[in-house]
Amino acid sequence: MNGVSRSGCRFLRCFITFLLLCFPAAAVNPVFAFEQPEQLLIGIEPEHNIFDQMERYRFLADYLSDQLGVKVKLTIMSRYGEVIKRFRTLRLDGAFLTSYTATMGIKELHLEPVANPVNLIGESTSQGYIFVRKDSGIRGMLDMKGGSIVFVDPATMEGYLYPLAFLQQHGVKDINEFFNRYYFAGSHASAVFAVLDGRADIGAAKSTVYSQLIKNDPSIGQELEIIAQSPKAPEVTLCIKSEIPHDLRERLASVLLNMNKTPDGKKILQQFRAQGFVRASKEDFAIIEKMAQEVLGSLTVHGK
Amino acid sequence: MLKILLTVLFILAAASDLHAGKRIGVIMTGDIPYYGVIHKTFVDELNRRFAGAEKIEIILQRPFPNPISWSNAARKLIAFDVDLIVTYGAPATEAVIYEKSRIPLVYAGLYDPEEAAVTARNATGCGFKVPLSSILRYFKRLKTVNSLGIVFSSVEEDSVRQYETMQLLTAQQNIKTEKIDIRSRADMDKLKRLTSDAIFITGSSLVHLWLDDIMPILLQEKIPAAGIFPDVKDSGMLMTLHQPSHLQGEMAAEMAWRILLGTKPSDISTYTFRDTELVFNKIEARNLGINFPIQLLIEATKVIE
Repeated sequence: MNGVSRSGCRFLRCFITFLLLCFPAAAVNPVFAFEQPEQLLIGIEPEHNIFDQMERYRFLADYLSDQLGVKVKLTIMSRYGEVIKRFRTLRLDGAFLTSYTATMGIKELHLEPVANPVNLIGESTSQGYIFVRKDSGIRGMLDMKGGSIVFVDPATMEGYLYPLAFLQQHGVKDINEFFNRYYFAGSHASAVFAVLDGRADIGAAKSTVYSQLIKNDPSIGQELEIIAQSPKAPEVTLCIKSEIPHDLRERLASVLLNMNKTPDGKKILQQFRAQGFVRASKEDFAIIEKMAQEVLGSLTVHGK
Repeated sequence: MLKILLTVLFILAAASDLHAGKRIGVIMTGDIPYYGVIHKTFVDELNRRFAGAEKIEIILQRPFPNPISWSNAARKLIAFDVDLIVTYGAPATEAVIYEKSRIPLVYAGLYDPEEAAVTARNATGCGFKVPLSSILRYFKRLKTVNSLGIVFSSVEEDSVRQYETMQLLTAQQNIKTEKIDIRSRADMDKLKRLTSDAIFITGSSLVHLWLDDIMPILLQEKIPAAGIFPDVKDSGMLMTLHQPSHLQGEMAAEMAWRILLGTKPSDISTYTFRDTELVFNKIEARNLGINFPIQLLIEATKVIE
């Protein structure tokens, strides 16, 4: 019995050694070796200053590449609202998406929300603001009639969906009839500047950009007045294709959620201008889907 | 009997002809394109509204921008006993109000009419307001601004108000100001001694009358300038944030039309236009060695290249 056992053990040891020699990677990382993609291509929705934005995200991408052992590459999506189109044409594996496009991506592409960055004032969410110049004389809906309004982009919650919902709740059925003019500024900051200059009477933009602009130039806060604000929704969410292996998605989430616990991670967060990341869930986007259904009748996919 | 009847009919016909048509006196200071646009739109809109139903005669006065000329223009129109006086800009409006005539007055092109406090009972009109803080903000996004020169004319009330507003804004941001009061051509020499990082040109008619002489001096000193009137003649403004003035012409015409049909000026509310257009001039930027960042260019209503 012992002889058999000894020879069996010898055979087993030889077999394992043979396996280790043939597949050294399997010994280090046996679970992911066969499923792990060579790289992850992550899209970014353009902000006001895309050069600054790319710089911030580049630090994060390099860190993720190191931590995951998978090259993380970034690409700027040409504009808001083309998330569906871009995911297909650019063959993206994931994207940092704003709340409305994330909602579209989750519904249309079955993307999985992974994590939300927490900004430097400790918030992972943002709100839509509707604002006017303090000296505009606009205090309510009656004063808005016949004026001009600037939105951000049709694919933003804060800069389009929410103001539409607000107007609808206050009895506006057709913005073409109610306003003398409306247009899209292309960025939240541009919408703020348009109202400051008088290029539009009423503006809509997200709270985080609005607050940041005031922080940089306090005179802006003295000139503008917020007349309505939306419920909070995730500001930016990293969403990943469901085809990406579950284990990799989980590792990605784990790296992001624990970044603020390591010195290297903290350094990257500082460069990314965030305190950390929090776990995202599909339930976070229910409020936006409801808003879209109320306003548009369905979740309209802009630029699909 | 027939003779008497014919005479009465002739007198009645002649009398009605005497009262056919209205005479409108207009005071448009100098040859300022901003006021020119208001006036053209005013005339077009008025003709459209009356559409030949009433003969409209317009007596146009173009005084040089100084108090005596404004006063003379106002007195002439009052002597003509026109049915309505229309003025463009604060000084001309003030000159008419000063004469205390009973002739109704419609003004346009007035900077911030709520602040101008035009109190005459027989006056109404429209004006505009441009956030001067935005001009300062755009300058600061272009270059470091430690001191701002403000070109104005102390004989023009609205130009003085703009100077005061801008001075207040700069003080809040610890930016020094240089005061350049233009009352005569000799005052333009002050521009050669400027040390400011940028120049704000107020909506003064005197300054705009000499803009083609002022701008080369600033260009030579490499000082960028911005203003609140459109730079129609491409005099060399780096940027303008202005209210499209044709809307004021249309509204002034509507007000004039209502007054000529019997509405009292006091029953017509005054109006302040606040819509603006932002124009950047990349040619001037190149001449000044300034680069417009892309984040700034996208804000513009129009970019001159």
